[in-house]
Amino acid sequence: MRTLVFIPAWNEADSVATVIAGVRERLPGADVLVVDDGSTDATAARATEAGAIVATLPFNQGLGAALQTGYLYALREGYDFCAHLDADGQHPPAEVARLLEEVYEDRADLVIGSRYRARGAGGGDSGDGGDDDYRPTISRRIGTSVFRFFLTLATRQRFTDTTSGMRAANRRVMALFSESYSPDFAEIESLQLAVRQGLRVEEVPVRMLERAGGASFLTPLRSTFFIFKGMIVLVVGQFRPRKAGAGR
Amino acid sequence: MTVATIAAQGPAVHLTSQTRILAAAIAIGFMVFILELIRRNRLQERYSVVWFVAGLGMLAGAAFPGLLEVVADLMGVRNTNVALFSIILLLLLGLALNFSVIMSRQAAQITRLAQEQALEKAREQANGSTPRRDSDVVRQGRREAE
Repeated sequence: MRTLVFIPAWNEADSVATVIAGVRERLPGADVLVVDDGSTDATAARATEAGAIVATLPFNQGLGAALQTGYLYALREGYDFCAHLDADGQHPPAEVARLLEEVYEDRADLVIGSRYRARGAGGGDSGDGGDDDYRPTISRRIGTSVFRFFLTLATRQRFTDTTSGMRAANRRVMALFSESYSPDFAEIESLQLAVRQGLRVEEVPVRMLERAGGASFLTPLRSTFFIFKGMIVLVVGQFRPRKAGAGR
Repeated sequence: MTVATIAAQGPAVHLTSQTRILAAAIAIGFMVFILELIRRNRLQERYSVVWFVAGLGMLAGAAFPGLLEVVADLMGVRNTNVALFSIILLLLLGLALNFSVIMSRQAAQITRLAQEQALEKAREQANGSTPRRDSDVVRQGRREAE
């Protein structure tokens, strides 16, 4: 049984080595791949030094394309399971190990790490106050609740952390995501897609930290654009054909 | 103005032969320019069709000014100018959309190409990148033997 942990990174030279070291410590059996999304700094060099395999995209393609590169690598190299986490140090590798447990035990095909869902009480509505370690900004909070509402509407399944970049998956998900994965709107559309294809998607409460390096890309204008794009993606996604024979 | 008075005005499109010759010349010059772009590999044939159709349309308009009136009539538009601009506007809108579609397709292709290249490099690194180095050594050995 082989596991790949991949880390999409765009100009994260300051934090990527720490993240890799953390993953290697917590998940000694897993291979680590860094998908360098056209970084202009030393991200690729730091990642290689830290002992990760590095897939360098020749130019910046966006998070969706970078994540898809990871899924493609996992699928083609014959990994049984894969997980990904952000390169900025927000995601503790120990939590990724917990997500992987869920797919190892075959309790779900795709597991999302949620910073909003309360620990222990699986269905409890904790809102934003459930975790002391993580304090979202206002624009993120608005975006999160908008997407939460619409994604719940679209999938009839309750998701609290729709934009979470910490996930674990099995080969069914790899096959799906390496074929169709929106380059513009990776996180949310992929959830909708997976649910529509009949895959078991599950959220697991995780602890997240403040970012160790880099700045959030969310400015108010970008957030608005992001939300608008998200609406289009979700509405269109509802009318996409379901693949015959997919799912369980 | 009543419909009767408009009808009494006769054909709404008045073009002097001078304008018609000028329009025809522009249309022909336009099509020659398209051919030249293709000849110099600046434009692919498959994207040139739409421009030839546009050139031919211009030529037809110059040759038969009455044509526009017939079209305007079919559209139920009283003013031929409005008909002309509406048609052009719609065509340009369609063309711009067509370009967006082509652009999206090419963006997807470029992304996949970039991913394939990145995967290839990663695979090489993961496998210790021995295959390439071996062939390099062989090549170098051959060069030295020559």
